[in-house]
Amino acid sequence: MTHENHPGSLRQGLLVFIFLAFLTLVEFFIAITNQSLLLLSIVALIKGGLVMYYYMHVYKLAEEGSQDQHSDDWKLRTNRLGLWLFILSDSFVFGGLLVSRFNLLGLTRPDLNQYLGLLVTGVLLISSFFMNRAETQMGQGDRKGFVISTTITMLLGIGFLAGVVGVEWREAPFSVGDSAYSAIFFMMTGMHAFHVLTGVIFLGIVLNNGRRGLYTAEKHWGVEAATVYWHFIDLVWILFYPALYLIGRLA
Amino acid sequence: MSKNSSRSLGTVLLFFLGGFVGGTLLAILLHTLTTAKFEVNYLWDLPSLLLGSLAAVVALLHGMLGYRGVVRGLFWQVGGTLAGALFVTLVRWLLNLTGAKYTLFDMNTFGFTEPAWVLGAVVGSVAFVAGVGAITDWFKWALGEKTSEHHEDESGWRKYFGVSLDHKVIGIQYTFTSLLLLSVGGLFALVFRTELAKSGLQFLSLQLYNTLMSLHGIVMIVSILLGIAGVMNYLVPMLIGAQDMAFPRLNAFSFWVAIPAAVLLLSSLALGGFDTGWTGYPPLSVRAPLGMQMFFVAIWFAGWSSILGGLNLIATALRMRTNGMTAFRMPIFVWASFATSIISLTATQLIGLSFQLVLFQRLFGMPFFDAAKGGNPILFQHLFWFYSHPAVYVFVLPGLGLISELLPVFVRKPLFGYKWVAMSSLGIALVGFLVWAHHMFTSGMNEYLRVPFMYSTLLVAVPTGVKFFSWVATLWGGKIDRDIPTPMLFVLGGIVVFLLGGLTGPPNATVSTDLHLTDTYFIVGHFHDTMFGGYIFPFFAALYYWFPKATGKRLNETLGKWHFWLMTPSFLILTLFMMRVGLLGMRRRIGDYDPGLNFDPWHLAMTIAAYGIALAVLIFFINIYRTLRSSETATGNVWRSRSPEWQVPSPMPVHNYEHPFEVVGEPYDYGLPGSIYVKMDAEG
Repeated sequence: MTHENHPGSLRQGLLVFIFLAFLTLVEFFIAITNQSLLLLSIVALIKGGLVMYYYMHVYKLAEEGSQDQHSDDWKLRTNRLGLWLFILSDSFVFGGLLVSRFNLLGLTRPDLNQYLGLLVTGVLLISSFFMNRAETQMGQGDRKGFVISTTITMLLGIGFLAGVVGVEWREAPFSVGDSAYSAIFFMMTGMHAFHVLTGVIFLGIVLNNGRRGLYTAEKHWGVEAATVYWHFIDLVWILFYPALYLIGRLA
Repeated sequence: MSKNSSRSLGTVLLFFLGGFVGGTLLAILLHTLTTAKFEVNYLWDLPSLLLGSLAAVVALLHGMLGYRGVVRGLFWQVGGTLAGALFVTLVRWLLNLTGAKYTLFDMNTFGFTEPAWVLGAVVGSVAFVAGVGAITDWFKWALGEKTSEHHEDESGWRKYFGVSLDHKVIGIQYTFTSLLLLSVGGLFALVFRTELAKSGLQFLSLQLYNTLMSLHGIVMIVSILLGIAGVMNYLVPMLIGAQDMAFPRLNAFSFWVAIPAAVLLLSSLALGGFDTGWTGYPPLSVRAPLGMQMFFVAIWFAGWSSILGGLNLIATALRMRTNGMTAFRMPIFVWASFATSIISLTATQLIGLSFQLVLFQRLFGMPFFDAAKGGNPILFQHLFWFYSHPAVYVFVLPGLGLISELLPVFVRKPLFGYKWVAMSSLGIALVGFLVWAHHMFTSGMNEYLRVPFMYSTLLVAVPTGVKFFSWVATLWGGKIDRDIPTPMLFVLGGIVVFLLGGLTGPPNATVSTDLHLTDTYFIVGHFHDTMFGGYIFPFFAALYYWFPKATGKRLNETLGKWHFWLMTPSFLILTLFMMRVGLLGMRRRIGDYDPGLNFDPWHLAMTIAAYGIALAVLIFFINIYRTLRSSETATGNVWRSRSPEWQVPSPMPVHNYEHPFEVVGEPYDYGLPGSIYVKMDAEG
């Protein structure tokens, strides 16, 4: 099964991951060569689209199913709609932060450690790959694989937090109150880190319940919700990373 | 005390008095301890009066209910606030040990330092929601426990003071809270309106005037948000034939998270107030007293109430419709609620963000809006108005939907242009996202932005005009009883008042005239016309109309007419005079004005008119009280409506309809022989 190219297969997951990693390197390359806002935006949007389609399965919203309002299938699709509405709402916060960043900084960027930025981006990307694996494994009834993949995802998430909050915040050549640069940098990374933290907690709950056998291959809405939420956090970083690290000249 | 025994009225009142005395004494004790001097006058000072009132309300509720539901929530909120504040203080003390110097207690900010108060406010609000029991089930889910699908409510009035998952109970909880806040916000207005009756300062300080004026605005806004949430919660599932909302627990959470927000909002009065108006523009809001922070935190939580309520409603309208209810057979009110919810789901995040940025600038010195450090105060206004302009459509769209909903019932004619009216709500909501910067024509933003925003704003008149055209055409040739029923009076009043508000809009939207009108009483008059026409009048119409549905009793018509005929002329005098003095140059948001301008008689008339409105609302409350006490019942189809909820006896049973009904025709075909909207006994 895992060698066919169906949604959630290992091969598809790997392909998506490799493509996303490649595009991240392309972004980095654009940034050190010509810093084109247009090119960087296009690449970021392509990455976002890939995540939304292959990792977050946005097309599932349009799926038809049972009309019986007491059936599990109907409830599942209602829950899915609710989660996506929440994500739509939450994305307005991040949209507002992006707008604020361009309003305040224009086409300049704060002086940040580029290698660290690339490293944490990679960590989050790999975590999304394992998150995708975890969901697939639960869908196939492979509980042991689910536990391992979720644990790796959580560890990578904590690693991301350590990289951003633990290292980047200390290393940054400015402190919170210095300028609009520092303010917007700490606000954007802080808001995102807060969401990563909630995602890790959410994963911890799902992991615990999954280990105790509360989810089955057919019925695991909690796992699906945690997965979509985790990929959403990745999606936000896909837009925040170029906005903070790559776009514009150094201030 | 056993769980369901009732205390006598006298005992409950004793609780109330005891709470008040205890609260004020506690306040003076704290004051004496923190300032090390005893001042008797502090007994009459605002903080001690407010602490006394809070304690009195909690004690009153405790006397009525015992330690559960909202009482437990309030106790937990107080405890949570203290815990959060003490935690920050403790962390600061630990940091002091490392050599950095931090203030632990600050007498200028009522004991705790500002960061301590802010974290206390946040923790307190979360503690309230936990204490009242609105997140218990989610905790159980997280721990892997199963919860029952069916949640049994307590019997009688007690169910309204604790967590219920029934959308009708939640709708009434929302509406009750909304009316409570409406009275509080109205009282604030009466106080400063009395001050304004004469030029010169009578009995308020300028700081207190500013606080009351700001609180009047924001308390009314929260009241309106809760009011529309109440009407939408109560009606939408019923109108579309659902048993409940799509997410009942989320629904309860949305309501209960608004309560600590309201408490925080009012507490800002005791914690120094704030003088920015409800808009909270920096840089003034960066320098304002501690009350500003309470305001920010309160709106942040109230915003979540609105966002999650909107989310729930969208999911409900999309997923829970009964058989045969296609999109274009939905009642107009459902369309309007859907449009409203799109705005509250998305745009609300931006006011939360803008306030959070100011809050962080105050707490951590992050200079988002400090021009000297590269910040930009105009950015705040963009973020703020991106929500706060669409917000006025959140306030009025359900009301305009109610007008379209009720009009055909009373004129016994089909609604004119159903599809156009349905789409116009969405049209207003979507255009509403593109107009925010018309609040900023004089802000110093780029001048070229003024023109596109002027045109997009004027564009709002098109879908609004569609609605007016439909109303007039529906009224045309209709049969109205000579003795107009009270809901219909309020519908007609709403149309007239909203027309006034609408007509005074374009002068503000047009840059050339707005440059003169901005920041004058003309804007205040225009705004109150839109709010009364788009919200207050239709809201009262809905209360009179659906009161029999909720209680099985009909509100008294005579008192209802007194209510209407006292409120409407008073209100028209108030706002028309506001616009008049505004055109003559009266500035808004000021506590005093030059007697040489000769505005004194106009202001006196406005103050008297404001008392007229207050009296009218008081009559409404008396009406509710008397009706609930009377034994006369009205369980049938009081208004001869075609709508499904009136085809079953009132009050509505817990799970609404025994059998799902089927929609077989158009909703508003009144007076057309043989037309049917719903078949009640469809095969389940």
